[in-house]
Formats: sequence, structure tokens, C-alpha cells
Amino acid sequence: MKKSKKLIAGILSIVMAGTLLLTGCSTAASNANQAPQGDSSTNGSVTLDFWYAVGGRNGEGVQKLIKDFNDSHPNIVVKATYQGDYYANATKLQAALVSGNQPDVVMLEIAQVGQFGNSGALADLGQTFSKEEIGKYQEGLMKNSFVNNKLVAIPFNRSTPILYVNKTMLKNAGLDPAGPKNWDELREYAKRLSNKEKDIYGFETPIDIWFYEAGVFQQGGKIFSDDEKQVAFKDEAGYGIVKLWQDMVKEGSMKTPPGQDYNAWDVSTNDFVNQKVAMIQVSTATLGGLLKSAEGKFELGTAFLPAGKQFGVPTGGANLAVLQKSSEAEKKAAAEFIKWLTNKDNAAFFSEWSGYMPVTQEAVESDKIKALYDKYPQYKTALDQLKHAQARPMIKGYREMQVKIQDELKKAMIDTTITPEQAVNSAAQQVQDLLNKSK
Amino acid sequence: MATSLEKIRSSKVILPKESHWIRKLIKTLSMGKGIENISLVVLSLLFIFPFLWMATTSFKTLPETMLFPPALFPKEWMFENYGEAWRSGPFPTYLLNSIFIAIAIIILQFAVIIPAAYAFAKKQFKGSNVLFGLILLGLMIPTQVTFLPIYLLFSKMGLINTPAALILPFASSSFGIFLLTQNFKQIPNEIIEAAKLDKASEFQIILKILLPIAKPAILTFALFSFIAHWNDYFWVLTMTNSDAIRTLPVGIVNLKDTESIKSWHIIMAGNMILVAPILFIYTLASKHIKSAFTYSGIK
Repeated sequence: MKKSKKLIAGILSIVMAGTLLLTGCSTAASNANQAPQGDSSTNGSVTLDFWYAVGGRNGEGVQKLIKDFNDSHPNIVVKATYQGDYYANATKLQAALVSGNQPDVVMLEIAQVGQFGNSGALADLGQTFSKEEIGKYQEGLMKNSFVNNKLVAIPFNRSTPILYVNKTMLKNAGLDPAGPKNWDELREYAKRLSNKEKDIYGFETPIDIWFYEAGVFQQGGKIFSDDEKQVAFKDEAGYGIVKLWQDMVKEGSMKTPPGQDYNAWDVSTNDFVNQKVAMIQVSTATLGGLLKSAEGKFELGTAFLPAGKQFGVPTGGANLAVLQKSSEAEKKAAAEFIKWLTNKDNAAFFSEWSGYMPVTQEAVESDKIKALYDKYPQYKTALDQLKHAQARPMIKGYREMQVKIQDELKKAMIDTTITPEQAVNSAAQQVQDLLNKSK
Repeated sequence: MATSLEKIRSSKVILPKESHWIRKLIKTLSMGKGIENISLVVLSLLFIFPFLWMATTSFKTLPETMLFPPALFPKEWMFENYGEAWRSGPFPTYLLNSIFIAIAIIILQFAVIIPAAYAFAKKQFKGSNVLFGLILLGLMIPTQVTFLPIYLLFSKMGLINTPAALILPFASSSFGIFLLTQNFKQIPNEIIEAAKLDKASEFQIILKILLPIAKPAILTFALFSFIAHWNDYFWVLTMTNSDAIRTLPVGIVNLKDTESIKSWHIIMAGNMILVAPILFIYTLASKHIKSAFTYSGIK
């Protein structure tokens, strides 16, 4: 037995030596490959790695912008790479920060800004952006840009949830095609639009943290206390939206789409396009696709999310941030790159291309955006709704907390004998435990 | 009705490995050839349908992909979906990388597993059973367990974001050693001894005797390995940061919108580009694959 162990050890060490040899060769080879693309070459040009997280058509828009930037800036080379959706992108960034091959500029979903900002991974942009330049961005979109009073992120592809209504169905039911304005109207409209025999629902919403936040804001509530140490949704403001949803589910006027994360969103938009549901709430970034799909079938309208005690929405989408580990030259180039991406023409271009909101006031006033709003007034809703926008929580570990909240809410939608108080209290307890642990 | 449903359900589980077995099962259960053929058609439709769905979706327009009840065939065949998918990223680079990495892995794997399998099958040495056991153990460890230590190791060695990170971890294969060992064991020792009498070197024995006899198994393993690494998404996404060394599956996911409506027609066109080489190679090699499994089945 001992002998065979020795033998194994011997063989293993030979194998390891062999692997080392192999990797040695390939490092040399790959280093040789990488040499010409180093951080900065001799002629004074700077190379920026940029990681982004929007795919499909919106990703194409980003690629087009990058190409224009590289063509017009001989001293800066931006290498943009798509790293999967927001969550995959953030995970990759975390791993890259550990292994030291992080990019210079990164796109961060707005709730992720806090996590990376608090850990000191993001550069202070206050040094490279003047007050005047910061003032250009829409105030409603800057609420997830500051960490510890430092500017660490600039809005780029920003969205907000809006209510989509099938105007044709509303008209046929004798309702105001502008859509419901408050919770009571929403409930009333949904009831009248539902048709059990035809399997048609009045209203559908993914049971997602985004819409729960909206519901809490609409009741004047908050998710966390201002010092971010206590859960703050364990009250009437936190129960209200759950009660509304449950009542509507019980009445058969609201459908909760099945599916994990964005799959549930796809179900909602599919049902809406096929007129199986008359009103849905999803991201404004969906508008372009919905307009195309509804063409020739029904009239599509957009409206504010119905108000509870007040109107209220979180914003969404992503910001751009610069990494602290980059060199001074890279940080300067990165700021120039971000300013260029969000200048009047480019912000207007990307907004029109994607359906995300124009991030600066000057872009809103550009001819391009004015023409777009004239042709498709539906786009304007998101912008008008911005004055009711509130910041999303930026607490470390919020992703995990979201999942806990969503799970409890989904349970309460399937088993309506669970009271809103039970569901919310249970979620609040779990989130508080996580909060206590992270301190 | 109930029994035929059960037939389909029970056979569906086994079909990929032992189609031979199913035929027997169906034969005993059904009355004659007619029913047998019908069952086979139904079964094959079950497997073909997802591919057909993918193929027809890749020619649809966006509104058609969201239609309910769905239409199987598009009204108008949109061939430009393929062009749009191809242009939406550096697809030529992805394709070349996919080919390079899959082939490099297969070459490395054969360099390791053929001598190893030969030793396990035909040589007697101390600890051979223990080592073989270790290799079988390796069959049971999923990638998700090993990727973190390998990531940390590679990042210290500076190998993240290099082709080495995609190739080296797969330089050997437990499954390959196992499959070839079982195959080599079926080759009579007498043939090898006869060759030795004729003063054949070990290298010649492998090249001239073992490989030709085990050709079906070798081809099968090559195909399995090719498919696994051609389709691999997780490992490539984890180990790479730049498009210059990424492969097709990562490129296909790029076609997916995050917040807005997903363009399924474009995604499916991308998927068609992804699976086309596999389908092509499979049709060429399917005869050998069947014989590899029936051969080892006799044992």
C-alpha cells in the first residue's frame, strides 16, 4: 500500500511538472501576443478596456458609438467587450478585481454602484468632471451616482418602469384610453378588462423587486432607513402594494407571469402583444420592440405607474464608472470617453436607437429627440415620470436581499391565504438578518 | 393510449444511449412492424421538433416569434436574419477561435489518453487499479467545482484571458481514458504479442494495431469532445475578458437583449450557425458512433 502511494505521488509530480512546462510555453506565447496591445504604447496613445452589459440591438448601438469614438480620437483606443447581462458583468468584474485584470471603464446596473463604490473599486469622478458638466445630467438620473458624497458613476443607458396599455382594448371596454391614474382605477380597469372565458387578464406585472420598490415609493415608504442599518418596508407602506396585487389576483383580474428573473418579463410582453392582457408594467427599454409588434394589431399607449398616495418609481438601467486601479492617464482618457458618449448628439442617438432615456437635458432638447417625441409620444412618458423618481437602494448584498423579498412575494401571489403582513414581515426579517451580518 | 404514451416516456430517457434497446422494447410491446415504425417516427419527431422549431424561428420576423398560438412556418422567409446575426459582433473571430480551441483540445487529449488507456488495458503495473479508480472518480467531479481553484491558479500564473486557459484544463479526459481502456481490453493479447515477436515498438503497436481496431471509439470520443468544447459557454465566459479569444457560444448570448424584447429570430439564426458544423460532422460519423456503442455493449 505504501509503495503504491509513493508511486502515485511520483506520477502526480511528473504530471505537474509537465503541466508547468506546457503552461510556461503558452505564457510566453500569449505574452508575445499581448505585447502590442499593452496599456499604453510609445506614441502616447492610451488603450481603454470597456466592459458593457447590453446585448442584441442595444449592444449594436454601443458598438457603433465605440467605432465612432475610435475613429475620431487618435490618442485613445477603446476596446469594448460585452460581458453578459448586468449580473454576469458584475460577477466578472468582481473576479477581475481579485485577479487584477479589471477594465478601465465599466457599465454597472445602478443598484450595483453602491457595492463597488463602497469597496473603493471606483474612481472619484469629481476630479475629472467639472460642476457644470455634472449639472448637465438629468437630476432624476443622478440619484445612484454618488457613494459617500463622491461622484463615482455617470448615467448612460437609463430606464424606468412604465405602464403599457392596449388603448384599443380600453376603448372597447368604454374606459379612458389614457389608462388608470391611481390604484383604485387600476383595480377597476383591470376588473372590467378581464374575461375569464377567453383567458384574458386586465393587468400583469412581473413580481420583481423593481415593481415592489415602486409600490413602496407610491405609498410614501422606503426600503431601508437613511443610515442603511434598518429595514424600513415593514409597515403599511410596505404592505399596501402586496395587498393590492393579492386582491387583484383573487378577483381574477391580474396575472403573475411564471419564470425566473427576466423570463417572467418576457411572458408579460408576450401576453401583451398577443392581447391576452390589456395592461402591463415593464421597462421603458421595451417600448421599441412593443411598438413594432403592436403595429397593425392594436393602439399602444404608455402611462405613469398608477399612483398610490403619490406617484413613485425607481429608475433602472446602468451607469458608467471608472476603475480606481487604472493609471492617471487612463482615468483622464476614461473621463473624456464618458463625456463624449453622453454629449448632446450621442446621448440623443443612443436614446433614439434603444428606447432608453436621454440622460442630459440638452439631449432632450435636441432635434433628434424632439422629432422622436413628435412621432411617438409614448417615449415621452418615461421622461415626464422622472420627476417622481427615487433612488434605488445601493446597499452591499442587495442582490441577495432582492431574491429573498421576491421569493416571499411570489409565494403570497400563489397562496393568497398568506396575508400581506406575513409575507412582508417574513421578507423583512430575512433582509434584516442579512443586513446585520454584513455589518 | 395510456400504454403508448408510457412507451414514449420510458423510451425517451434511454434513446440517446441505447436505441437498440428501445427497438427491442417496442417490438415486444407492439403487435407488428407497422406499429413499430409509427412509434419510431413519433419518437424521432420528438427529437427533431426542437431543431425544426429553431430552424423555422430563425427565418421569422420579430412579431411572428411572439405570436400565440404560434405559427410553425414563417409567412415570409427572412434570410437576412442570418446576415444580421453574423454582423452583430466579431463572428469570424469567434468562429476561428471555436475551431482552433476545439481542435487543440482534441489533439492534446489524444496525446494523453491513448497511451494512458493502452497502459491501463494491456500493461500490468503496481497501483494500476488505484489510478484507474482515481480517473473514474474524476468522471464524477463537475466543472463548477474545479473552476474556482483553476481560476485563482491561472490568474496567479497570468493565464486568464489567454487560449491556454481554455485548452490546458481539458488536456486530459477521464471519460476518454475510460472509453478507450474498455475498447483496448477487447483486443486479444495474442495480436499484440505477435506484433512484439515481429519486433514492433510500442509506438507501432499503438499506431498499427490498437488505433485501427478502436477506430469507432476514437471517432466517437473525438466527436463527443468536440461537441462538448464547441458548445462550452460557462468556462469560456469565466476565463476570458476580451472578444479576441472568445468562442461562438459567448457570441450567441451577445445576441440577447437584457432589458428589452428579445429578438428570438436573430438568436435562433445565431444558434443555427452554431450547431450547423456539429450536425454536419455527426452525419459523417454517425455510423461509427453506433458501432462504438454496440461494440462495447457486447462485452
